[in-house]
Amino acid sequence: MKSKYWREGEPFVWGSGAALALILLLILTLLVVIFKNGLGVFWVSPLSHLEMQDGSKLMGEVVQSSVMSMRDEPRSQLKIANRDLYSLDFKWVSDKDIKQVTYPQDAILIERQEYGNFVGFLSSVTLLNQPSLPSGEYATLLAGLDDLKANMPELEAVKSQISDLNYRVESLDHKLAKLRFRGEEQGDDFQQLTMQKELLQTEFQTLVTTLNVLQARLMQNTARFTDASGTMLTIPLSAMVRVYKPNNLSFFAKVSLYLQKTRELFFDEPRESNTEGGLFPAIFGTVLLIIIMAIFSFPLGVIAGVYLREYARDGFMVRLVRIAVNNLAGIPSIVYGIFGLAFFIYGIGSSIDQIFFPAQLPAPTFGTGGILWASLTLGLLTIPVVIVSTEEALGAIPGGLRESSYALGATKFQTLTRILIPLASPGIMTGFILAMARAAGEVAPLMITGVVKLAPSLALDGQYPFFHLNRKFMHLGFHIYDIGFQSPNVEAAKPMVFVTTLLLIGIVIALASTAIFMRNRMKKKFAIAD
Amino acid sequence: MNKKLLKRNKFYDKLAHYVITIGGVAVILSVVAILVLIVRVSLPLFQPPTSEIVDHKITVTEPLAVIGLDDYQENVFTIDQKGVLSVFSLQGQETVPPVDLGINHDAHIIFTSRSRTEYSLLWDDGRLSVVGISFRPVFNAEGTRSIEPQIAMQGEYASLPTGSPLLQSFFATSVDEDAPGTVRVNLHQDNSVSIFRTSISESLFGDVEETDESFVIPAYFETISALALSEDGRQLYAGTGGGTLLHWDISAAPVLEDTVPAFKQPITALGMVFGSQSLAVGTADGSLTTWMGVRDSDQSTTKKLRRIHTLTSHDSPVVAILPSRRDKSLLSWSAKGELHLDHMTSERNLYNFALGSVSLASLNDRGKGLIALTATGVQLLKLHNPHPEVSFKTLFGKVWYENYDSPEYAWQSSSGSDDFEPKFSITPLLFGTIKGTIYAMLFALPLAIFGAVYVSQFAPPHLQQIIKPTVEVMASVPSVVIGFLIALMLAPFIETHLVALILCFLLVPLCFVGFLFLWHYGQRFKAIHEMKSGFEFLLVLPVILGGVLLSYYVSPFVENQFFAGNFTQYMFENIGATYDQRNCIIIAFGLGFCVIPLIFSISEDALSNVPSGLRHASLALGASRWQTAWRVVLPSASPGIFAGSMIGLGRAVGETMIILMATGNTPIMDWSIFNGMRTLSANIAVEIPEAPVDGTLYRVLFLCAVLLFGMTFIVNTGAELIRDRLRKKYAQY
Repeated sequence: MKSKYWREGEPFVWGSGAALALILLLILTLLVVIFKNGLGVFWVSPLSHLEMQDGSKLMGEVVQSSVMSMRDEPRSQLKIANRDLYSLDFKWVSDKDIKQVTYPQDAILIERQEYGNFVGFLSSVTLLNQPSLPSGEYATLLAGLDDLKANMPELEAVKSQISDLNYRVESLDHKLAKLRFRGEEQGDDFQQLTMQKELLQTEFQTLVTTLNVLQARLMQNTARFTDASGTMLTIPLSAMVRVYKPNNLSFFAKVSLYLQKTRELFFDEPRESNTEGGLFPAIFGTVLLIIIMAIFSFPLGVIAGVYLREYARDGFMVRLVRIAVNNLAGIPSIVYGIFGLAFFIYGIGSSIDQIFFPAQLPAPTFGTGGILWASLTLGLLTIPVVIVSTEEALGAIPGGLRESSYALGATKFQTLTRILIPLASPGIMTGFILAMARAAGEVAPLMITGVVKLAPSLALDGQYPFFHLNRKFMHLGFHIYDIGFQSPNVEAAKPMVFVTTLLLIGIVIALASTAIFMRNRMKKKFAIAD
Repeated sequence: MNKKLLKRNKFYDKLAHYVITIGGVAVILSVVAILVLIVRVSLPLFQPPTSEIVDHKITVTEPLAVIGLDDYQENVFTIDQKGVLSVFSLQGQETVPPVDLGINHDAHIIFTSRSRTEYSLLWDDGRLSVVGISFRPVFNAEGTRSIEPQIAMQGEYASLPTGSPLLQSFFATSVDEDAPGTVRVNLHQDNSVSIFRTSISESLFGDVEETDESFVIPAYFETISALALSEDGRQLYAGTGGGTLLHWDISAAPVLEDTVPAFKQPITALGMVFGSQSLAVGTADGSLTTWMGVRDSDQSTTKKLRRIHTLTSHDSPVVAILPSRRDKSLLSWSAKGELHLDHMTSERNLYNFALGSVSLASLNDRGKGLIALTATGVQLLKLHNPHPEVSFKTLFGKVWYENYDSPEYAWQSSSGSDDFEPKFSITPLLFGTIKGTIYAMLFALPLAIFGAVYVSQFAPPHLQQIIKPTVEVMASVPSVVIGFLIALMLAPFIETHLVALILCFLLVPLCFVGFLFLWHYGQRFKAIHEMKSGFEFLLVLPVILGGVLLSYYVSPFVENQFFAGNFTQYMFENIGATYDQRNCIIIAFGLGFCVIPLIFSISEDALSNVPSGLRHASLALGASRWQTAWRVVLPSASPGIFAGSMIGLGRAVGETMIILMATGNTPIMDWSIFNGMRTLSANIAVEIPEAPVDGTLYRVLFLCAVLLFGMTFIVNTGAELIRDRLRKKYAQY
């Protein structure tokens, strides 16, 4: 006979408890994996110097040690860096092949502009105009780098002048093309513009020469290194981003390096096909995308919500529309993307090109993916979220408030703007934040409407007319997809993917938590008002 | 009160009313426009082809051997039977002086054939001329375009010294860089076939050497009524008066590969379909079929000719079959002057003109212009059939494609070569979508619903207020993040620990049941008996973790003991199941993680909203807490739970990034959980950047979007309606 314990279904309670436990376990695992990997990327880990049984030597940081299964021996993955020497960044080493592990104090790690990190030992430094010689090669190297950094502004200034000139020549070209299109090739304007262009081009040439001279001078400052096995390598100082001795750092030095790298992440351009350096363009693109999206989507969503709740007469139509709006929230984002492609890019964009930029055709100006079209697509995608939350917020306001307002002689519009909207604003705000969180995380529609792996220039810069809404852009979410799945060296890109993931998930979770917190508070507030 | 102010207020109110109404209606309309637009883009796929007669002033006086039209439909060229090539504009003016292709002015052309842009003309004195005719746009200084004919004599072959007189002669140039050369195939009056091959080989020192070979195929016992030579000159097909199809491989000495007694009627016309993979056959009773070499079993290496497609029949014997140079379309006409344009893959009869009698006809290379010489003169038609390869059958049915051994559902939109047969079957994509969704829901539904039941029914209120928002926040985790984690972290892990995963499904429940028995036993002890309920899930957590760890540590032993040390290998050898690293297990995890918060949140809302009176009544009647939850609360909340599940389903159907990143995106149809798939959504994301605007692929992808839209629409609306009905049903509680 079944005991009471089983008959009452107590085990099922435990079963449903197990389901909840599994969900929480999954969430926990996800967060732990992301935070552990993402936060650890910038922390300096020691360089191990391995002497192998066969006499060869390796140096690098141990990335992971694992026992694959009972059959395999324990082994470790070593990030041996020096891509230009070994062509591989990583190496699996079987633990039983290792004779001895040491952590040499003078092992040096160089973050470079190209080929990833270098790991090895410093042997000599050659500086062109040596400052007052400090003692020791390492100190000389650091002094040389400081000197270089002092020269950098000059170089940067020339570079920015060049890009500025480039832009001016480009816009002149556009004007010339326009004149040519109108058939005014013989006109004074045309001659004048051609002259201007030639002037700019000579200026351009001089600047390029200056730049080359500067760069050549910097290239002469070099340092020689040896890797673990003794191979020599000369690296110009200008190719170095950061130099330090990982095994010889105090805790505070490590913290300071961590902060430096974090600063670089937020404010610098990416390097090495996006797998190193900063995320600035991607962060900028994501933020600008959301802002433009918000400009289009929020007012329209609120108007539609207000219309549905306050102005539309309740009936069959409104019910139909509600179903439609709920449905819209469920349409896959890729469908929005393909709609954006057909409607915004090939529809509106191509028409704009034909009307305003016929001279540039067949090269498209607005008839190709760009931040404006991507934002509009995302705007459409988030409108249902805003409509639903506006409606809910308005619906939650007790009817008495509305009637009191009317009773005092206020018009419908006055009631709306002075009573209802302020009361509903937390709810509407929640909708905005949820919409922003959704927009920040969507990638699929962007892939069709203009996101790129590397945008040459930002959509907002100092060049007239400042906003370049037709430009392509970078995005954090696409960055993850791109470097995690399309980069030639996925293993080396992983740390960057984790950092990007951490950043994106941080933004999204922060937005979503705020929204949910606000919603719950609003629920309570009106629960009392009822 | 100030009247002006009142008036102004009223004005603003009216204005706002209109603005808001217009705005609201516009937003809602624009939303409807999305569906309309994507449907509109995909609709031309199903529009019937149209044609329009082009006026012209071209008159033909001499009997013609060849007639043709350029790609811009501005020039018509003809070769009359005396060998004079003329090019006319549509106004009937000759744009270039006529070219006399003949040497002997008494000779007449008795047979013509075409391979690529080369026309071979067989004269009645046994000579063969090969002439290349093509047209090229030329821009002058003002930028106006004119079309210039390019006429090149490719070769002139003297009559054969011996053998019976010629009936037909074919010529082909090999464009294969490894084996360049030319082939000429002749059909003689005595029914024998002779082959002349010139191979050009380059020695190490750069000397070009030509080798000539010739072969004779002795007369077949049935009259050969038609011949066809592949464009590379390696395959020769013949049809006989007895209805037999013959196939020789003539890349070296001719080898008779195949003799197929195909028809009861005489074969009257043969033609190679563009790409020279398939052979089109027309017979005396007007039937039109295509044939292709197919391996009869997986092991065999030889291919046997088989009938693949049956196209629309003519009313009388087929006179000639000409392939389109753009796709797999075929132009054919019959003795009674019926002119057909059919597409091989889709078996669609695109055009069917009754022209009385047709002596010559030709499609231009773009396939958009048709010219025919009829009893009434030259007929010029502009064709508009942008998507001939699409039919309901090619989109959803099994189609026998070239180089396939059997009819299949296949998706392969593009390839390197021009003569590729595009495969646009949406079925594998629909299948992939459904497969991924089902596995994900199998994983997500029980977890989400039971989790929600626990939180709403058994957990203490202050825990509810922590757990629910936590899970809800998880709903906003971007899918690209989940995709990345499962594809780059979980997939390699599961690949090496597959046995551990399978053991988990066995050991975790075992541990759990064991724990329940222990707990039951433990009830005798006062401390355990009096423990506060509501924290069961925390107690279960270590049990689950224990089960997982146990499986992890036991799995190498199990794998060694039972599966010869490698489970995937063992599985492949014993059941023939292959294992992909990015498979449906991974997808189930990823999509499941994506939809669990959605389903959980909506279900939890529904469960919490059940009036507490119901619960209290049930408990008061002596029901246990589980009985109350299962028999009272859950049924009342079931509409909400159902709706949540449907919304989760809709999300899983349309999810793109997770699928894109964590499956191999191969469009295969296979229920195995160890393989990947390609879904509609991922297909759009993968293919749309490469799709030319308004091309067939572009429109088919929009059709995919329509289907996706439709699926989610049905699911969402269905959820809404069923929720309504269930709500009414349970309203009595």
